[in-house]
Amino acid sequence: MNRSITMGQYIPGNSILHRLNPRLKIIALVLLLVFLFLLDTFSALGASLGLALALFALAGVPFSYLLRGLRPVLYIALFALIIYFFFTSGGVVLFRIGFITVESEGVEQGLFIVARLVVLVLFSLLLTLTTTPLSLTHGMSYFLKPLSHIGLPTEEVAMIMAVALRFIPTIMEESQRLMRAQLARGADFETGSIFRKAGSLVPLIVPLFVSAFRRADELALAMEARGYRIGARRTRMHEDVIMLKDWAALAIVIILIALALTFDL
Amino acid sequence: MFTANGDRLNYWVRAAMIGAIYVVLTLIFAPISYGMIQVRVSEMLMVLPYFTGAAVPGLFVGCMIANIFGGHGMLDIVFGSLATLIAAYLVTKIEHKYLVPLPPVIINAIIVGKILSIVLEMPFYLTAMWVGIGQVIACYGLGLPLLLFLEKRRYIFK
Repeated sequence: MNRSITMGQYIPGNSILHRLNPRLKIIALVLLLVFLFLLDTFSALGASLGLALALFALAGVPFSYLLRGLRPVLYIALFALIIYFFFTSGGVVLFRIGFITVESEGVEQGLFIVARLVVLVLFSLLLTLTTTPLSLTHGMSYFLKPLSHIGLPTEEVAMIMAVALRFIPTIMEESQRLMRAQLARGADFETGSIFRKAGSLVPLIVPLFVSAFRRADELALAMEARGYRIGARRTRMHEDVIMLKDWAALAIVIILIALALTFDL
Repeated sequence: MFTANGDRLNYWVRAAMIGAIYVVLTLIFAPISYGMIQVRVSEMLMVLPYFTGAAVPGLFVGCMIANIFGGHGMLDIVFGSLATLIAAYLVTKIEHKYLVPLPPVIINAIIVGKILSIVLEMPFYLTAMWVGIGQVIACYGLGLPLLLFLEKRRYIFK
């Protein structure tokens, strides 16, 4: 259970990608993701893959991180490949086992979809590898802001994102301490089915909540004592400003996409 | 807490803690896969809005951070968290405890299933079922026992 747990995917660095404004990085990523869905040839996908890899090199990210980042989509990719290979008909029959046939169209489509998924995840990884979780959540909460006009508490959501991030290591430590305490009393978190494992979790969750809520009450009291008012305007210690280089980077992305689309790459 | 501001602050900070617990559970039990079906153990916490409203923003934020930390990228961050927000809100409206795990199963199957079917260009019913089965295991298999256990200990949420 004490496997080393990496806190997010962020790799510290000082490349141009690291220093870009997180909000514009998010916008650029969304544009690139939409663009990926407009492509329909392997060569276009290959070009996007090349772009992604070039950006990874620019960010100075070791190759092993790419593979590790792709691991979560392994099952989805497998699931898709199986469905496409065995249940899509059309084209030449590649091989046949009993009543199962694999035909070329299914293979081609399956590979295309999975390749697009890989490029999609690589672009997303670029963002999470070069941006700290804190500035990412700040960026995300910036885009939530317009929702405050329809009465949603976006300032509060932004605040609890920061608080939650701050307390993840604390609660992680706490849960491992609780686990060791339970292990010493003969609990077993390692063996058995998923239901047994989860069953052994329950005695862990209750004290976890009790202590987390106690911390919450203390923190809320401390925040109030320091003058934190719900609904009041907030200022930040680190204002994130959008600079010329950020606009330039976004412009480059837009120009690349426009070029690729007009020349029907 | 004695003031109205303090009470509201308390609600939000508790929400933050629930979010942090969701992230920690996601990290500790990093993908448990059941054959091809993926089960996110932390989804068992989706029963919490039954006990406290603070779990609604809490789970939303927790899911968003968990998806930023690892997972499948931007689509997951936006739509996965959105599904969690809607499902968590619906849970607060449910009175019968055996129906509590239903919204996270149905909403996730619809929203995440729809996104997956677009990304993978596969029939919606297939991807929805794929997501749904994993959610049934997490929310009914793990969440419901948690709910029954917590029900006798409601004082935790006071």
